[in-house]
Amino acid sequence: MIRLRRIVLFLLGITPFLYIGQAIVRLQSGEWDILGPEPGKAVVWITGTWAFNFLLLTLAVTPLRRLLKQPWLIQHRRMLGLFTFFYASLHLLSYFAFLLEWRFAELGAETIKRPYLLLGMTAWLLLLPLAVTSTRGWQRRLKQGWKRLHKLIYPLSVLVAVHYLLQIRSSWFEPVLYAALVLCLLLLRWQKATATKHADGHNS
Amino acid sequence: MIIKPHNPSDPLASEITPHSLYLKRRQFIGQGAALAFAASALPAQALQSREDPGSSGSPWLREQIGSARETAFGEDEVLTPYSSVTQYNNFYEFGTGKDDPYRYASKLKTDPWSVTVDGECEVKGTFSLEDLLKGQQLEERIYRLRCVEAWSMVIPWIGFPLADLIKRFKPLASAKYIEFITLEDKKQMPGQRSAFSTIDWPYREGLRMDEAMHLLTLMAVGLYGEVLPNQNGAPLRLVVPWKYGFKSIKSIVAIRFRETMPRTTWNDIAPNEYGFYANVNPQVDHPRWSQASERRLPSGLFKPNRIPTRLFNGYSEVASLYSGMDLHKYY
Repeated sequence: MIRLRRIVLFLLGITPFLYIGQAIVRLQSGEWDILGPEPGKAVVWITGTWAFNFLLLTLAVTPLRRLLKQPWLIQHRRMLGLFTFFYASLHLLSYFAFLLEWRFAELGAETIKRPYLLLGMTAWLLLLPLAVTSTRGWQRRLKQGWKRLHKLIYPLSVLVAVHYLLQIRSSWFEPVLYAALVLCLLLLRWQKATATKHADGHNS
Repeated sequence: MIIKPHNPSDPLASEITPHSLYLKRRQFIGQGAALAFAASALPAQALQSREDPGSSGSPWLREQIGSARETAFGEDEVLTPYSSVTQYNNFYEFGTGKDDPYRYASKLKTDPWSVTVDGECEVKGTFSLEDLLKGQQLEERIYRLRCVEAWSMVIPWIGFPLADLIKRFKPLASAKYIEFITLEDKKQMPGQRSAFSTIDWPYREGLRMDEAMHLLTLMAVGLYGEVLPNQNGAPLRLVVPWKYGFKSIKSIVAIRFRETMPRTTWNDIAPNEYGFYANVNPQVDHPRWSQASERRLPSGLFKPNRIPTRLFNGYSEVASLYSGMDLHKYY
């Protein structure tokens, strides 16, 4: 059962990637406007959106597991987290390739003009050790440290939310919605943490 | 002959050749002639079956546009394909996505249309579009359009000098500025219903009188040889080619001559990002991005079509309008 669920989840998770892949292949073989007149921007946008979607899903596992009393959900958190990293990496890579055009000399100037770039790149750097240590082996090796390390997802989520908010021009609906979802998911944990603390106090 | 969009069933050369081999206008004209010949064999109905919303327009307007004369403006430019010009737009009245205007602008009713003229002028009133265009010789001008977002296009507009229109209203000496207002109608413009927009509708823009009277300043009613598609600002829009695109206000319903500088929409929202003048200037960056270069659309994926941005978008003949002005201060 868990195997089947994992396969289904994997197929769902890989779908946006396959969509982008086929669009790029068609684009390169002559359908020049399949992604609009700014295909580079479109790819950066789609990969960024899916990285954020998977981040929210990853963060939602624990609260959902509790609310819905479905303990098995935790079995899928790693894959969701890895998809977050996968799309975030594609997002960063497509920014470098299609928008920055590998002119790293300009990255400094760009970053000063657009602080959201710095936030995004920092978030990716924080995501990197989480992806690397996502295996069972690392989980064993780091023992208690693993849990502490993976709490990095909380500050990282805030960075990502601000990264999106800073790009508002006129319509603020989506950036604010994403930020609100991050806030909710973080508040649920804070609430749980304080509740546990109180419970501990009573027990002792 | 006037450049026409291709019949959707025929592939445009730009769609089957790499960007590097993009058509020069001269070749484009030759191809247009071939297309016209091919088209003459088709029933008229097939020619009108366009997938684009609301590009038909009333017969008198089509006829007037059909008799527009060619000019030398931009004859050496490589045109941005019709599909990009009409499917990649900033027209927040229909949504903030670049393809929202293309998808939703068909709801806009452009016929009948009227424009209210008032303020510091002798001739005031509400004029139908037909009145405004009566006896007006239209012309085709190919202009570069530079968006403040650092992309640009080359568009063959059909229109007439704004100066011609202004003269008919006999502005008073006290008229120092001209203000334009876009239609506000939540029923027709879904973007205006959005609770999440920072824009205080209706959209407003303005020019100094000498800018408005400049030969380059155009009132457009068509593009690519036909009536303006709704998403491009039908039925009447401004085109100021040396300024960022947001100055070129669309779907105009009011013109007001003013003694004082009018409020303008983007300047209201973020005065540090969008000035009243908004002249294209590679030296003055937007606070959140550089204006030194631009992506000429359509852009490739691995080979972005990046070109340097020029002062006044390359229209150096307007420089005298700003002599002695600090363009860093009055951006």
